[in-house]
Amino acid sequence: MNREVFRNILIYSTILTLQIFIFNHINLFEIITPYIYILIFIIYKTSYDKTLLLFLGFLSGIIIDLSIQTYGCHTFATITICYLRTKIEKTSFGVNANLPSAMVKGTKFSSRAFFFLSLIFIHSIIYYSLIFFNINAIVEIFSYTIINSIITFMIVWVISKLISNK
Amino acid sequence: MQSIINSIVKNRNLIIYIFLSLITFNFLYQKSPIHSTNIGKIATFISGTSSSFSSSVSSYFSLRSKNQKLITENLELKKVESKYNILSQNTENLSILSGPITSAEVILNSVNKNKNIIVINKGLSEGVNKEMGVISSNGIVGIVKNVTDNYSSIISLLNIDLKINAILKKSSTLGSISWDGKNPKIVKLNDIPLSSSIKVGDTIITGGMSFYFPKGIPIGEIIDYDNSSLEGYYEIDILIFNDFSSLSNVYVIDRSDNEEIKDLLYE
Repeated sequence: MNREVFRNILIYSTILTLQIFIFNHINLFEIITPYIYILIFIIYKTSYDKTLLLFLGFLSGIIIDLSIQTYGCHTFATITICYLRTKIEKTSFGVNANLPSAMVKGTKFSSRAFFFLSLIFIHSIIYYSLIFFNINAIVEIFSYTIINSIITFMIVWVISKLISNK
Repeated sequence: MQSIINSIVKNRNLIIYIFLSLITFNFLYQKSPIHSTNIGKIATFISGTSSSFSSSVSSYFSLRSKNQKLITENLELKKVESKYNILSQNTENLSILSGPITSAEVILNSVNKNKNIIVINKGLSEGVNKEMGVISSNGIVGIVKNVTDNYSSIISLLNIDLKINAILKKSSTLGSISWDGKNPKIVKLNDIPLSSSIKVGDTIITGGMSFYFPKGIPIGEIIDYDNSSLEGYYEIDILIFNDFSSLSNVYVIDRSDNEEIKDLLYE
């Protein structure tokens, strides 16, 4: 158990560090900034405590916000996906959602892709809505959300494969 | 109590989520000037809309009392208005009346006969006597015919037997008014010689050369005339100012000098 906790802390810290020091500084075409730290909430096992996930989301979000001065936009987006994760799991995996680690192994590709994309898309749309915070910028909000969701999904998918292989 | 605690425990994630969201928004509001301004705008919009809604709801429920208040106020204003109207309209007519005046209400009236009679609710006990003139705020009405203690009958201007002395206001040419029994809004002005200059719109007033009405009470205006008569007089149609079909309040004129003049004439 202690070993598993240590491993998780190490993985989460590594992902956050990568996000803060590398991915936050990527700004392709002045639009694309992948938010790979969402992976933390994707790989968080279903058997773990959901309340702890909320606090983990809050902590991760606030660290990212402080690092790039977004004043809580990331925090609200992350705690929202953490809160909605249970519902998204059920929608994505159906009855299997209650099984521990079921989402990583032995599930359909489409279910996993839907799960990943849902979390990433909800996070992005909340984040960009708060960043622009203007109804007149709805086109920008959707375009940033869609482009970043696709890029983030591809990177997160690759990293998740790497982690699961190890 | 137990069920409340159970409910809180069951929904702890929702409560924690709301709590953390509030902390986040507070952070956003405090630190980001753009968000602070926009959240302030949204808050103003929400509070403005909600207070406008609550104000319209509360005003809807107080409509009945407001309506009652307005009715009462309207009634008071009507009273004041009617007092003012009577005073202002009658000042012109009544200022030319020297003798005492008795106000009365019409209790019986007709306009569809040849010999129309009006009955009023004042009689001998209020000082009304035979052959007194009766006017309203719009002009002459008729002459008192019979009197009891509390009621009087009046020969209406719309009575083919009545002839009233009248003049053209502009030229003071003397004539007499009579009704032909046809249209209750039109009377005939007779005895105006063709040598007089008249035109449509000229006002006709009482001539004052009778025992009933003093000079200057309005009767009507010329709407049509015929100057082709061989007798040397106009045939003039007068539109009377009074609407006899809606007559309600009248005034009886007491010309106290009548008796003296009569004595002088019949001595």
